[in-house]
Amino acid sequence: MTTTSPAAEKPARKLRLMRTPKSVDIDITDRCNLRCRYCYFFTSPADVKQDLPRDEWLRFFEELNRCAVTEVCLAGGEPFIREDLADIIRGIVRNRMRFSILSNGTLITEELAAFLSSTGRCNFVQVSIDGSISITHDSFRGQGTFYKAVQGIRTLQRNGVSAAVRVTIHRQNVRDLDNIARLLLEEIGLPSFSTNSAGYMGLCQKNTEQVQLSSEERYLAMTTLLKLVKKYEGRISAQAGPLAEGKIWLEMEKARREGLDSLPDRGYLTGCGCPLSKIAVRSDGVYVPCNMLSHIELGRINRDSLQDIWQNHPELWKIRERRFKALGDFEFCRGCPYLSYCTGNCPALAYALLGQVDHPSPDACLRKYLEEGGRLPEESPE
Amino acid sequence: MSEDKPMANPSVILREEFDDWAVLFDPDTAEGYALNPTGVLVWKQLDGKHTLEDIVKVVRESCQDVPEDVGQHAQDFVADLVKQGLAGYEVKG
Repeated sequence: MTTTSPAAEKPARKLRLMRTPKSVDIDITDRCNLRCRYCYFFTSPADVKQDLPRDEWLRFFEELNRCAVTEVCLAGGEPFIREDLADIIRGIVRNRMRFSILSNGTLITEELAAFLSSTGRCNFVQVSIDGSISITHDSFRGQGTFYKAVQGIRTLQRNGVSAAVRVTIHRQNVRDLDNIARLLLEEIGLPSFSTNSAGYMGLCQKNTEQVQLSSEERYLAMTTLLKLVKKYEGRISAQAGPLAEGKIWLEMEKARREGLDSLPDRGYLTGCGCPLSKIAVRSDGVYVPCNMLSHIELGRINRDSLQDIWQNHPELWKIRERRFKALGDFEFCRGCPYLSYCTGNCPALAYALLGQVDHPSPDACLRKYLEEGGRLPEESPE
Repeated sequence: MSEDKPMANPSVILREEFDDWAVLFDPDTAEGYALNPTGVLVWKQLDGKHTLEDIVKVVRESCQDVPEDVGQHAQDFVADLVKQGLAGYEVKG
């Protein structure tokens, strides 16, 4: 293994910024009926113990309309816990937007699912399913939640609402992945599902030992998921977690083996493009760059102009301009053979782990994983 | 040229994302329709008060190097918007 790395191609210095964000992620509530042991939200800076009244949100949606925002994603907290959710959604529809909802699935009623369907504007409701049987799913989410979440998906399906599923991989379900895929894709009949793993945020920070995968378990998850992607012809996806890592790490290792100078958009802190197209709002109405970077306060809805914050806020520009920071300038990355093939990964995880946004995240660092005894899967997903 | 006055579908959003790029987004279908700056200019005239002839006049006044057959271009463009459900004409009673 070489210890030097060729220089990555510099990214274009000038960023093209949309005049307004295309979509907005909204924590529509701070409340939830569950306390999943790896929930990123509770005890994080997003957990502000305050919900805005409906009328504040309705007023805000009028500004989103004026800014030509096309989509909002409602999360929290558990959006279905809000008694006035239907009124909020009517406000979204009235202001010419589409919406999606991230949910634990346990509070979805027939009536609400029928209402969502009737709007014609729901992109999807994402329900978390973490096991093929209740014992795995309920281990961290609470007794009886598996049954209710599956019922929630079935209710959405019956009413013609697109149901998406996110599987969070942890120590209790990493050996259940084959069965989870069979349940979701064959028995429940979803077109696809996505996976992730519990990041070191919120409640997960207190339960790391029970939740987060060891190197060997990470290898098992990557290998199993890559095999399942082949078996189910791409119906399983991931933007983070073991499946995403398995794919990107194999690509990085291949580039290193072949001695490529660099890979496109790598070698710099390019791991996050979100602030180029979207912004987030906490449940107390404070604008933040991302709901996982909720400590960075940018202003307040219905007081500060969204367009002004979007175009001019220095903190937002700092995050966007991370992509001009070369990984080679970080002590953490010095001498890494993968440096020119790496994105530096998620800024929110870098902050959670190191207290620094402008730093590569150690969480998805291939060199660190290998140094800790991790192995790469043997085959590429193609 | 017709005396009809085309009108934008009020549900459709014009997103002027960059100086040289805009998109019409129909939230009911989730489909987008790309527009160049001249397309944006025409779209902004679809208020039910201007005929195609009026719109072509605005284009001639506002743009440089306007081709001779701009009227036909504008007619085809508006016809396509109508076909896509992005614009329409007032139904006469």
